[in-house]
Amino acid sequence: MSKNFPNPEVPSPILIERLSAVVGADNCLSRPEELFAYGCDALTLDAHLPSAVVLPRTSGQVAEVVAICREFGHAFVPRGAGTGLSGGAVPLDGAVVICCSRMQSILEVDAANRLAVVQPGVVNAHLSEAIHHLGLFYAPDPSSQQACTIGGNVAENSGGPHTLKYGTTTNHVLAMEMVLPDASRVRLGSPTGFAPGYDLVGAAVGSEGTLGIVTEITVRLMEIPEAVETVLAIFDEVPAACRLVGGIIRSGMVPAALEVVDQRTIRAVEASVYKAGLPTDAGAVLIIELDGAACEMDTQLQRISELAEREGVRELRVARDAQERALFWRARKGAFGAMGRLAPDLYVHDAVVPRAKLPEVLEEICAIGDRHGLTLSNVFHAGDGNLHPNISFDRRDPDELARVLAAGREMLELCVRVGGVLTGEHGVGTEKRDYMGMLFEPADLDAMRRLRDAFNPDGVCNPGKLIPTTRACTESNPHARGYDEVPL
Amino acid sequence: MSPEAGGQATLDALHAVADGSVCLLDPPERIAGSQLRARVEPADGEALALCLDVLSGRGEPVLVMGSGTRMDLGNPARGVSLALSSRRLNGITEFDAADGVVQVLAGTPLSEVSRRVESEGWLLPLDPSGPGGTVGGALATAHCGPRQRGFGPVRDAVLGIDTVLASGERTRCGARVVKNVTGYDLAKLYVGSLGTLAVIEKAWLRLKPIPACIRQMERPLDEVEDAFAQALAASRRSSARAVGLVAEPPAFPGADRGPWRLLAEFAGEEPTVRADSEWLAQGGAPAVEGEGIVDELRARQAACSGAGLHARIHLLPSALAGVAGRLRERGAHLVVYPEPAVVHARFEPEAESAGPGWCEGVLGLLGEIRNAGSAEVIIEAMPGEASRELDVFAGARGLDLMRAIKRRFDPEAILNPGRFAGRI
Repeated sequence: MSKNFPNPEVPSPILIERLSAVVGADNCLSRPEELFAYGCDALTLDAHLPSAVVLPRTSGQVAEVVAICREFGHAFVPRGAGTGLSGGAVPLDGAVVICCSRMQSILEVDAANRLAVVQPGVVNAHLSEAIHHLGLFYAPDPSSQQACTIGGNVAENSGGPHTLKYGTTTNHVLAMEMVLPDASRVRLGSPTGFAPGYDLVGAAVGSEGTLGIVTEITVRLMEIPEAVETVLAIFDEVPAACRLVGGIIRSGMVPAALEVVDQRTIRAVEASVYKAGLPTDAGAVLIIELDGAACEMDTQLQRISELAEREGVRELRVARDAQERALFWRARKGAFGAMGRLAPDLYVHDAVVPRAKLPEVLEEICAIGDRHGLTLSNVFHAGDGNLHPNISFDRRDPDELARVLAAGREMLELCVRVGGVLTGEHGVGTEKRDYMGMLFEPADLDAMRRLRDAFNPDGVCNPGKLIPTTRACTESNPHARGYDEVPL
Repeated sequence: MSPEAGGQATLDALHAVADGSVCLLDPPERIAGSQLRARVEPADGEALALCLDVLSGRGEPVLVMGSGTRMDLGNPARGVSLALSSRRLNGITEFDAADGVVQVLAGTPLSEVSRRVESEGWLLPLDPSGPGGTVGGALATAHCGPRQRGFGPVRDAVLGIDTVLASGERTRCGARVVKNVTGYDLAKLYVGSLGTLAVIEKAWLRLKPIPACIRQMERPLDEVEDAFAQALAASRRSSARAVGLVAEPPAFPGADRGPWRLLAEFAGEEPTVRADSEWLAQGGAPAVEGEGIVDELRARQAACSGAGLHARIHLLPSALAGVAGRLRERGAHLVVYPEPAVVHARFEPEAESAGPGWCEGVLGLLGEIRNAGSAEVIIEAMPGEASRELDVFAGARGLDLMRAIKRRFDPEAILNPGRFAGRI
């Protein structure tokens, strides 16, 4: 809970009236049935109803809403499209949700200087679509890019399959406007890419909405590469695909993407609308995407072919055209949706290990899944060592839910043990907050607290996220965290 | 600050916790505007932590430094008579050649790390702006040389940092993996903070593969518009690793024409490097292959006499030609990087255009450029005591937040006091 902000059970009608006066009655939600959808993000295991939801359209409105929340003693939580996977947008303690999804304007596109200024509610994919005719694109491409917002990407420092070459959101944000928890507005960074002083933009990206609410973002745009080649390397087993990833990294090539999809995922995808003709008897498919100058594609394809042969590749399938490439990526990005065929619920884990450790770690992760009798599949950003073990389950079975949570914890412990980390792109949120001690000493967490307190001294902005609280001991118990109270 | 700043009692206390770490300077050494009586050089992280514990306990401010090659960067320190150097924290603690990552102690010379990783086919993507320098110094200054186009900014190479806070607490952020959002990205905060938040003990760095092919080119360009268009186009070729325009002041004040030289380095796959080199060689005055192109850019970027003024200006590519033209007319020697767009302007008082009050005149021009918008101006060097009068990072946004961060990380303000933006 925020330090000085009590948790009123029922929001005062005056609060709702005041918020409505700022954003309009249509943009202020307070009836339980309206609030329900805002109780969680895509990590649906952890839901808490907010006191109210406001949907501002301007930075000024965000600042006014924050000021009113403070006046009424309410904590507040920024939210984008709610596609996050770590509970970062969950309104703990009856916080007011400030949902930026209606701040959807692309304010400026400066093709000469390769930058764009957007509101936080702009959907990730919409920006690239809007600038495609200029020969430019916005590089971060999370699997949810058709729905997730750039503001949400900034909060989570989102990545995606093409992180390997292009980096994550932090590498593409030049400047931002932020409403601070005291309701003041501040501009950070510079469109030039350099701003004197501490790198406050670097600190704010990935801060999971705990330092303030980003209301305008200046992003870097990239030139659409001259040539792209997408190759499916089909293997009988996952470790061989991982070894090829290591070989490619070691060879000095920097592909745009190296993505592994395992057999269970392939089968789910091929049985779904995302079907792309992947061989369902393959143990793993490695998607290799190369981009850059047209003149170097043949050389690189040849080198990849040689490396793949060494790892006993069954087949190399090069996308014949842009349409087939799109089909491959639709299958990859639709994999999580396709998992819905396996069970009613899906727990998408996210951890990172040193790339050279991938084969052994994956073997052990599968063993953990087997030990707990769980349905496990893997689809992951192999080039970054970023794993996504996916557990299909049914939350209505309390015993299975307990095993899902226990297995998840064991997987994280394993990743940390080999030099990895708790999350590569989904964030800490509430999901991994109480696991931070696996990776960090108290002094490390205290240093993070120092940063948070400089922006958010009374903890009113997105309380209870990212850094373990004194309640951590009780909350590490999943039932205490409310998992068993989630409506079905 | 304690009443006896840099006094014997402090030195004795330091001796007691880290024997052999204190080196007395007699006569005192003048660095970054401070008269230094002693240099503290802990041999390891533990000794560094013990020293900072003593210093913070006594409220004793220190000048934090690496090997001291770029002490000209930043404002003069305030009330400092001790230096705290990380140069004895020297060595590569872990190198994973399979994964292309390396963990290095802060005082390790960049050249030593480069030699080691290059032996395994990797490149350290930290491009110093001058000779010498340590990993800790490169991270603390975030200063970039000519290869920023190819290497990216310093922060992109940093995966994790172990620091010692002013209180003496040892902390860690980030890790050895290449993708990570576990907690706040404190490494971003430390990189470029000029040692004002914490002292870097060691860091995990991400390496790049050594390119298969490298080619350096030089091309003379007479027309200003042509020069900037060509340079930006060259910089956007896919194998461009370093592209710079250089020019001397015009032959007489007010002249706006004269030869520019485009210096370029292409690196990558052989077919791409060949294609990009051939592209540059086409049309107008032919480009010729050169050697030492990057060395020349680096030397020009670093060169500034003690009496000169050196400004670094970050701006948008579209503003380059106009700003560079104004600076050149004013008598600047220029190195211009088109993307990311950075101008290094060096003014020397002996230039023909210099007259009485030249320094104030140059600062006035730089202020106009800054105030025109979308330009960040950093004064990297200026004559003598003049620098005491001004914040060389003027124009920083979010200063209140920066001060709040400083208060929380270094409440006694003992780390490089006054050196940073807003005299933090």
